[in-house]
Amino acid sequence: MEELIQQLKEQIIDVLNLEDLTPEDIDTDAPLFGEGLELDSIDALELIVLLEKNYGIKLADASKGKEVFRSVRVMADFVSKNRTK
Amino acid sequence: MMNYELEITPTGVTLCGKVLDIESQGAVMLKELYLRYVGDYPKFYKMDPLCRLGLVATELLLQAEGEERFAERFDRAVLLVGSSASVVSDEAFRQTIADPAACYPSPSVFVYTLPNIVAGEVAMRNHYHGETAYYVLPSKDWGRIRQLVDNVLTDPAIHSVLGGWIDYTDNETFEANLKIWKN
Repeated sequence: MEELIQQLKEQIIDVLNLEDLTPEDIDTDAPLFGEGLELDSIDALELIVLLEKNYGIKLADASKGKEVFRSVRVMADFVSKNRTK
Repeated sequence: MMNYELEITPTGVTLCGKVLDIESQGAVMLKELYLRYVGDYPKFYKMDPLCRLGLVATELLLQAEGEERFAERFDRAVLLVGSSASVVSDEAFRQTIADPAACYPSPSVFVYTLPNIVAGEVAMRNHYHGETAYYVLPSKDWGRIRQLVDNVLTDPAIHSVLGGWIDYTDNETFEANLKIWKN
């Protein structure tokens, strides 16, 4: 799980162009939205694309993102249980 | 009255007639300018190259102008003109959908496939509520640009225009030549 968490942090930095951050700057248990990284609705869409592109997970219900993107740890848990690639 | 003018090319920056000491060139120079002269606006990293150029160019010019920053203003317009429009982001987005077997349209790239976004980004950063516009011309034509600026200044609510030429073709070919016109 720790390896997946690290991988997700690197992918989040890459797809969201968070050039000023390193994986160590992202708190594994902190909310991804609303505070901390100051992500916005476009970032949420980009994370949905990330899940589909890298892990074969289609979020049919976009509102489920609110739950999945609660933190990197929650995201990693969701990926590990639902990934198809 | 002081004339505020800025020019950024891939090889250097001239602000109000003075050449700035910059270490890097090309697209990397925009990041250097951001870190050296702005530094507190992380949204810069999410912007496409045209908006990055617009942000650092207007920041340098407004810092030189020296007026109060970030107060709500209804008397300033942002009018930008270029020839390449959003071609860099257009191409970047096309690449995200080019392969039918791996078609993942990028939302964050797509939002920059309109060139007037750069004018909006500048207005939002500075809390300007006047007109914002991006015009596409075949080439840099100061006579035409001045006509556009004069037209905006006929609005009695607008007392100044931040704008000029801004064009980004690729990471080695770009130019911002901006001024502040005041009534």
